[in-house]
Amino acid sequence: MMGISFIKRLVAITLLAVLVMVAAGCGEEEKGPFRIGVMESVTGAGETYGTVAVQAKQLAVDEINEAGGINGRLLELVVEDSKCNAQDAITAYNKLTDVDEVKIILGTSCSGAMLGAAPLAEREGVVMFSGLATNPDIAEAGDYIFRTSLSDATVGVDTGNVLWADGIRNLATINESTDYAEGVRRTTTAQFEKLGGQIVAAESYPTDTTDFRTQLSKLLNANPDAVHVASQAEASGGTILKQLRELGYDGPIYADVVPIGTTALEIAGEAATGVKAITPDLDPANAKAQEVLAAFKEKYDYVTLPWFLGSAYDNIYITAECLKKTGDDQNADGFRDCLYDITWSGTIGDNYSFDEKGEVVGLANAVLEVLPVAERTEENGGYRVLGAAPSN
Amino acid sequence: MSIASAPIRGLQEVARDPRSWWRRSKGSVELWANLIVLGWALVFMLWRGGGFAVTVGSVFAIWAVLAVSLNLVVGYTGLLSVGHIGFFGIGAYAMAVLTSSASYEQLRTEAIPTFGWPFFAALPISVVLAGLVALVVGIAFNRFRDDIYVLVSFGFAVIAFTTFLSWRSLTRGAFGIHQVARPAIGPLVFDGELEFLALLLVFLGLAVLISWLIVTSSFGRVLTAIREDEEAIEVFGYRTTHYKLAIWVISAMMAGLAGALLASWSTFIDPNSFVLLESVLLVSIVILGGLASIWGSLLGALAFVMLEEGMRFVPFLPSEFIGQIRQVILGILLVLLMLFRPQGLVGRFKL
Repeated sequence: MMGISFIKRLVAITLLAVLVMVAAGCGEEEKGPFRIGVMESVTGAGETYGTVAVQAKQLAVDEINEAGGINGRLLELVVEDSKCNAQDAITAYNKLTDVDEVKIILGTSCSGAMLGAAPLAEREGVVMFSGLATNPDIAEAGDYIFRTSLSDATVGVDTGNVLWADGIRNLATINESTDYAEGVRRTTTAQFEKLGGQIVAAESYPTDTTDFRTQLSKLLNANPDAVHVASQAEASGGTILKQLRELGYDGPIYADVVPIGTTALEIAGEAATGVKAITPDLDPANAKAQEVLAAFKEKYDYVTLPWFLGSAYDNIYITAECLKKTGDDQNADGFRDCLYDITWSGTIGDNYSFDEKGEVVGLANAVLEVLPVAERTEENGGYRVLGAAPSN
Repeated sequence: MSIASAPIRGLQEVARDPRSWWRRSKGSVELWANLIVLGWALVFMLWRGGGFAVTVGSVFAIWAVLAVSLNLVVGYTGLLSVGHIGFFGIGAYAMAVLTSSASYEQLRTEAIPTFGWPFFAALPISVVLAGLVALVVGIAFNRFRDDIYVLVSFGFAVIAFTTFLSWRSLTRGAFGIHQVARPAIGPLVFDGELEFLALLLVFLGLAVLISWLIVTSSFGRVLTAIREDEEAIEVFGYRTTHYKLAIWVISAMMAGLAGALLASWSTFIDPNSFVLLESVLLVSIVILGGLASIWGSLLGALAFVMLEEGMRFVPFLPSEFIGQIRQVILGILLVLLMLFRPQGLVGRFKL
């Protein structure tokens, strides 16, 4: 009998101890880290973008945590892969919201993935905040959906304006059949035609094409003043530039950001010299931007897609600022209101904010020109900035 | 072999003589495969809780309908097709185009027609359309056998994907289609994830039932005979081309059903979901589970989904590489399985 009551007492004491520990644990939870979901397409079609985005975000988080966190609390990222398609984005989204119980999700880099998860986020009141998705449809995705990336529509409109201002009247276009490249092509064409220009030939190609000579010959047979290239993969963009010159075309070439990426320029070599690209770009005079690029290079030993990198990096600091204000990572509504109110100066520009659709305002596209091979360095990325794109 | 007969027979025997269990089970890979996959699924559900389990369950149900349908062609009839994703896509796009009611800003894309049909009106159309395309394609495919069959079905998958991507005035190309309708019966709308999962499971049950009726019928026995020796069964006076065409169309219609369900489940589709790689993945699910076994297809789909989703919880991975490492591990596991168990988890027949 003694034994039993002793055991009973032991059990009671143990239970009490556990209770105290649990209670203490609950108390401590208040001071635990802020948990934020990150959903990027680190595998699949958009892996370059997704990887850069995750790394830039991790860089910013490390900086914040080393500096003592947000109001003394650390920031913690829960990273999931959305694989660049809608279905995987939905599972990744549900994992983040159900299992990790985050209310704020940063990402994604692929527009298709973003559009897949956005209706759920909108219905469940979860903030989705992307630094890279550019599909114009995202503007209409809802009240909880934000981005710092510029819609393809703005790139296209600015490209149309630049073409017209440069005296181009007959244009030939070639684009990859993806939502991004197709979006750039369509908005460019629409703006260019609105101004009075004429599209004399248009071709499109599926992802992973490697030989464009037949299609390019068709374009050149129409005698265009200029050729516009919109691609999603750097390899195809670079190859198009190269093959255009090989076919003997020596007129002006305009492009989106992809055909002047590091890999594309390596493929194209001298053929890329003089190509103009209309895209958001980091301001070389912006000291903060140079600092971020240097820190990124130091940590990961490479730099690519500097603007997107900076955009993803800024997302974390904006998030930190809003968490400082709301003090609660479960308060999605407060976070959303904070985003609507915020005006931010960071890596990708000064004094930018969000309009009522969650679209970024206050950022402009730049016109870039590719330098000759001899003048290309890692620092300048192989191009120089001619200035901001003319606004109509 | 009928559905699940092996486990049921095993259970009956164990019930008669409980001690025989260990003796029987020690060497039975099949039993262990069942126990491990089902056990893991159960643990996962309890461990990760309702919400996410429902999502994973929905993904499983869609893959399972696809796997069961493909097994009819690959496992029972012996026609190795990697083109099934095409019919999946046709079903999905038919559902999306017919039920979407989204309005798009026309500057950016061509106007696509919107019909705004309800789910249950569009469902039969999706299924029949996939069947019709399969009928036309199948007549051509019937001229081929074995390795060449793989190649032409590969071609079909590529053509289907390119069509989804390039027929912009109907599919909106790479932009995808938004606001695909969720099913509704009168006032009851399957809006929540749990209701939708229930609906998916009903359709999965239907697909399994149809498959079971087929493979246990005399029709199913002719199919198996075609797989074993097509010439021999022709000698007995069977027009094998008719049989092959029939099962091809039935299987494609079931894939179309899975596609329609997927479109409604995710409410947004774009061509990225119907790339060739997914088709190869689907064939691996069927082989992983076991050819010519309906239960094998269910188990294969469950094992695949559980592997893929379970990998999300592998601890101590650096966050930057989490996605890549998951895919590498998944690939290695599949290779190992094929190496040591080429007939699949519960299959009897090797490709």
